[in-house]
Amino acid sequence: MASSDEKPGPTPVATGDKPTPPGEPTTLSSKILDKGAGMMQSLKPVKEMKQHVCTFALYAHDLSRQIETHHYVGRLNQDVLQCAVYDSDKRKANLIGVEYIISPKLYETLPEEEQKLWHSHAYEIKSGLWVNPGVPQMLEKPELENMACTYGKFWCTWQVDRGDRLPLGAPALMFSPQPVNRGRVRPDLVQRRDEKYKISTEELRESRVDIQEPEIHPNADYWVKHNKGFAVDVKPADMKRLAPFP
Amino acid sequence: MKLAQSHSYYIKSVIEIESERERESNLMATSHVDVPGEPTETGTALLETATGTIQGFQPINNIHQHLCAFHFYAHDMTRQVEAHHFCGHLNEDVRQCLIYDSPNKDARLIGIEYIVVESLFLTLPDDEKPLWHSHEFEVKGGYLFMPGVPGMVERQDLKQVCKTYGKVIHFWQVDRGDPLPLGIPQIMMALTRPGQLDENIAKDVEKRFGVSFEEQREQRKDLTGPDHGIHPLANAAGRGLKTELREVDIPPATSMPRVFV
Repeated sequence: MASSDEKPGPTPVATGDKPTPPGEPTTLSSKILDKGAGMMQSLKPVKEMKQHVCTFALYAHDLSRQIETHHYVGRLNQDVLQCAVYDSDKRKANLIGVEYIISPKLYETLPEEEQKLWHSHAYEIKSGLWVNPGVPQMLEKPELENMACTYGKFWCTWQVDRGDRLPLGAPALMFSPQPVNRGRVRPDLVQRRDEKYKISTEELRESRVDIQEPEIHPNADYWVKHNKGFAVDVKPADMKRLAPFP
Repeated sequence: MKLAQSHSYYIKSVIEIESERERESNLMATSHVDVPGEPTETGTALLETATGTIQGFQPINNIHQHLCAFHFYAHDMTRQVEAHHFCGHLNEDVRQCLIYDSPNKDARLIGIEYIVVESLFLTLPDDEKPLWHSHEFEVKGGYLFMPGVPGMVERQDLKQVCKTYGKVIHFWQVDRGDPLPLGIPQIMMALTRPGQLDENIAKDVEKRFGVSFEEQREQRKDLTGPDHGIHPLANAAGRGLKTELREVDIPPATSMPRVFV
């Protein structure tokens, strides 16, 4: 099984124009239980997510597969961010993956083999593809220059664009849009996003012209220079045990 | 009615919330390693307070529940991780959880879990089923719990969870001291029988959260697992799983994709 599989194995839940995911609507008693638990539990880590970013990502094994993503970003410190990534900004959005974002200073400390899995954000931000919906430009501008220098590592666990109604298959590495032919986001995807938020990616690009172009580390965006992407395989293996399993 | 009884527990518990929250701030996981990097600058923090107030966070607001459980690597049971799940319902049959290494403000996001009811698990392709694990043992065993929620309320939900299957992927191998999320995603498994959970880890969690797995076991005797029994292909099909990275050929970066021509 590989993240690059075209389609997961046949299953009643992977085909047809039916809602994703399958299943019964949430019952009232579940909602009440949830509400009650929510009152008694503090959910602190989740409250640390203080930014919503809407942007685009490309599958590392097939750059023609592109998705609009919604990152809910939490900060661990000035150099490290962690994001829960969803396929929309609605309450019932599907959780499709996790992205980590680090400063150039930390990126440089990574081993070379690790660096290849990370992507740069400079083009994504300068081109206007990366937006903070609802935030006035003057507020977001100062931090965007910092963000533009960062590197991201994004794992996708639910290939909704493939038609998967449940999270199937191996996790997939994602890359960021890049200023080369294969790295550009399809205009229809951008247009749909812009219409939804009543923004113009083009105008944002113009307003971000003065954001400094950072120097991108040669090992980031590996595919651009090497014409090689990455896939993740899941294989049976012997489990080291300290007790019988299962 | 069960729900009405639970309601009175809610009221009693609201009073306990403050002291619980204070206790929680001392609940650091034992293998905590500092994340490299500078402390957050004031300007950055201010901006994020602003964006946190202005923007919408609907998908995050759908997260209503904190569950604590244990995972181990699908290729290595000896490497065990305390996993704090923050879960939301997509519908009655599917939940999705963010997994952190602690319940604290500075917790690291280390993975994701999806939870589905038995009927949906059964529709998964046979090569997918091994990536999922059963919850029956860890629920009945008392090892999976909802910090801060009284047993009676907790059990109402655990009754459902007991019959579900989960798929867990971790991205940050905190148990081996990684300062950053290095390497490739790891498929994880969960407890399926006595003797698997490391005793020190168990005792540490019991102490920090003021729970007793043995007591929970007693209270959960009437919970039942999947109606059709645990599927033989679940839990890594009884063997184990590993992930590998592979380079793949892709069209040259400068070649023109059809859609733009």
